[in-house]
Amino acid sequence: MPTDTKRVRGPEVSQSPSLFLCRPPVVLPSQGPRADGRQRDQVDVRPVFVRCGLVSQAKGSAYIEAGNTKLMCCVYGPRETERKDETDMKCGRLTTDMRFAPFSCPERGSWIQGSQDKDFSLMLHESLQPAVCLHKYPRSQIEVNVMVLENSGSVLAHAITCASLALADAGIEMYDLVLGCSIRQDGASCVVDPSYMEENYCSSASSENQGGLTVAFLPSLNQISGLQSDGEMTEEILTAGVRTCIEGCYKLYPVIQQALAKAVRKAAPPPSES
Amino acid sequence: MATVQVSEAEKVYILHGIRDDLRVDGRGCEDYRHMEIETDVVSNTDGSAKVTLGHTAVLVGIKADIGKPRPLVPNEGYLEFFVDCSANATPEFEGRGGEELGTELSNTLYKVFNNKHSVDLKSLCICPGEHCWVLYVDVLLLQCDGNLYDAISIAIKAALFNTKIPRVRISTDEEGGKEIELSDDPYDCMRLNVENVPCIVTLCKVGHRHVVDATLQEKACSVASLIISVTHKGTVTCTRKVGGGSLDSESIFEMTELHHSCFTLSESIHLLSRPGSGWSSTST
Repeated sequence: MPTDTKRVRGPEVSQSPSLFLCRPPVVLPSQGPRADGRQRDQVDVRPVFVRCGLVSQAKGSAYIEAGNTKLMCCVYGPRETERKDETDMKCGRLTTDMRFAPFSCPERGSWIQGSQDKDFSLMLHESLQPAVCLHKYPRSQIEVNVMVLENSGSVLAHAITCASLALADAGIEMYDLVLGCSIRQDGASCVVDPSYMEENYCSSASSENQGGLTVAFLPSLNQISGLQSDGEMTEEILTAGVRTCIEGCYKLYPVIQQALAKAVRKAAPPPSES
Repeated sequence: MATVQVSEAEKVYILHGIRDDLRVDGRGCEDYRHMEIETDVVSNTDGSAKVTLGHTAVLVGIKADIGKPRPLVPNEGYLEFFVDCSANATPEFEGRGGEELGTELSNTLYKVFNNKHSVDLKSLCICPGEHCWVLYVDVLLLQCDGNLYDAISIAIKAALFNTKIPRVRISTDEEGGKEIELSDDPYDCMRLNVENVPCIVTLCKVGHRHVVDATLQEKACSVASLIISVTHKGTVTCTRKVGGGSLDSESIFEMTELHHSCFTLSESIHLLSRPGSGWSSTST
């Protein structure tokens, strides 16, 4: 059992005070506008704030804010593979790591990577790998580290977007940007870019078709590089959900392109007066 | 995942064959290998099953323990999954080599069962807020020849069908404390309803076509696969894309339609698992 000997933690059996609330659990209405004013059944993603190049030590970095979800990503590499026996002669390796800060979710998490963190890291890896031209970096390793500062819903989708921005900022050659979008299916209506409340508290109105779907998409090549769903849905709802996510990604594309162009212009040397 | 090295010429051979709906062992693109399912193989467990799919062999043991329910859902029991890739399967799994694969498989299983209808968790409750049944599902990979997800899901369904949970009685003694009593009769037990337990179907994209139940060689020629977990009613409980390649969105829509035909597998498992069918050893 891995134990954390470096930090002094609270007692083992501490519980969050929210368990002792007297109020009945919040049941979100399944019709009408959503809590933050967006519409159901429409591709209504939250407005996004993106900035590249915030960590000076890293080769490339990016920060993304969507509603209250905040995350940052740093890219290091390409550099020599740490473990010599895993050096691949023909193409590079991409390692991804996604971590949640303990204060990011309403319930305190732990610093030790749980299985959910590893699952997200694996999904991130699978989504980014098709886009990066790894054959151009033989015998090297590119590290992508994502840190979630505040989890307010659809964390994986925004992590994918942030990571591909950081990779572009680092100058790693890619075939295309990878954008992520997620939806939550709630009975007959679907909610794009769900917030934390919408993701975790389902309305008990109908028990059919409750689930979430996250899609990672390459817009110029029209390819899906990552797909994950859970909950239960029928096949038609699933395919409709994938189409909705793709539309959400197309909506996000111009914003990301603009942010990247701005970062490159800022970093480029000023035109010489001649 | 355990891999084999496949030469370029062999890859082209496999690709061309699949393009013409003819795989190396003579199957069509939508055919499964010979499958054998045996239940009640380990007597120390509350339920067990062994599935052999071609050369892939998986053994699942389920033990029911009495534990404390989760704080947010006090009137439900829960399932815990653990997948162990034994070094018997391939030497790559020796020591901690198989740990990554094991974690990936168990995380997917948690997602597959993460809904209200697969297993009736309320029937696992003994005393709300205090005691509940915890089912520890332990999966052991004995042999690995591709298509692990399918074999594991079938084995879990069979093992859950075979699980016998003893009946308990709660009695209050003089001071008001609760006591749990198990009945003396070893055959007085509760069985689980596995009608809605989903089965996983893995579709590998090889060239421009999709194959079901890929062997390790075919896996080496594919860039990406899609895992879909489906119940016999057609509800999809979990999908996931694995592998380092990307899929066309049209391919994904094709695959979800294709899984309908692989539904017959899920249906046949479902028919076999109906109570009263006397299922102890079956071949498909």
